[in-house]
Amino acid sequence: MNMLILHNVQFVYHRGRMKKNTFYLLVGFIAIALLGAFWYSDEIHNPLLIEVAFVAAVIIGYIARRNVTDLIEDERTMKITEKASLRTMQVFWVIFCVFSLGAVMQLLHVPQFPQDFRFDRKPPAFEILPPRLMGYYQLGFLCLMIFLYVGFRVYYARKYGDWETDEE
Amino acid sequence: MKNKIKVFRAMYDLTQEDLAQAIGVTRQTILAIEKGKYVPSLDLAFRISKYFKVNIEEVFTYDEVTPTVEEKQ
Repeated sequence: MNMLILHNVQFVYHRGRMKKNTFYLLVGFIAIALLGAFWYSDEIHNPLLIEVAFVAAVIIGYIARRNVTDLIEDERTMKITEKASLRTMQVFWVIFCVFSLGAVMQLLHVPQFPQDFRFDRKPPAFEILPPRLMGYYQLGFLCLMIFLYVGFRVYYARKYGDWETDEE
Repeated sequence: MKNKIKVFRAMYDLTQEDLAQAIGVTRQTILAIEKGKYVPSLDLAFRISKYFKVNIEEVFTYDEVTPTVEEKQ
């Protein structure tokens, strides 16, 4: 049996067994640690740290999730997850394609095509999206995906009776 | 799809939590099935009826008039 005491909060877990609430607390600590890693990674200008930390966090979370004993996942919860994921992908790929098409149009200078079309025209200079701007776009898409997933998850959880009142 | 899970639970004096634990689902799933918010898979329907030692059609009845959860949307 391992014991960890941290700021008057006591977590007790047995090897291979973990309670749901302990798991949620662990996820919270992992999230805080990730924020710290992100901050420090930015301080030292080294993206590798946060990348490695993120992969480690996912692995730890996955292992911990497998050891939770009282977290039941049945066909209804799986259906909610499945539907939310599918709808997120369906909406996300449309938005992503719209953005990508716009970017390709910019790259090819297509809006100027009818005026500038000449056989002797030089090909447009290849423009690469600045990494900083690319980072902002990535962040935007990441946030969009998270919001879409959470939104769809809430919608389907409600649809399949997650917040139904019980007369028992 | 209509069901008589609530009736059978009352007959066996079971809470939703008891039934959920017995067939390996969450209490919320039993509640959702009872309220018609979720139509269980054949596998789960058979597990429920087997638990009550009755045929599946005694617990679940197909109701053509009532639209399914999917059709309601």
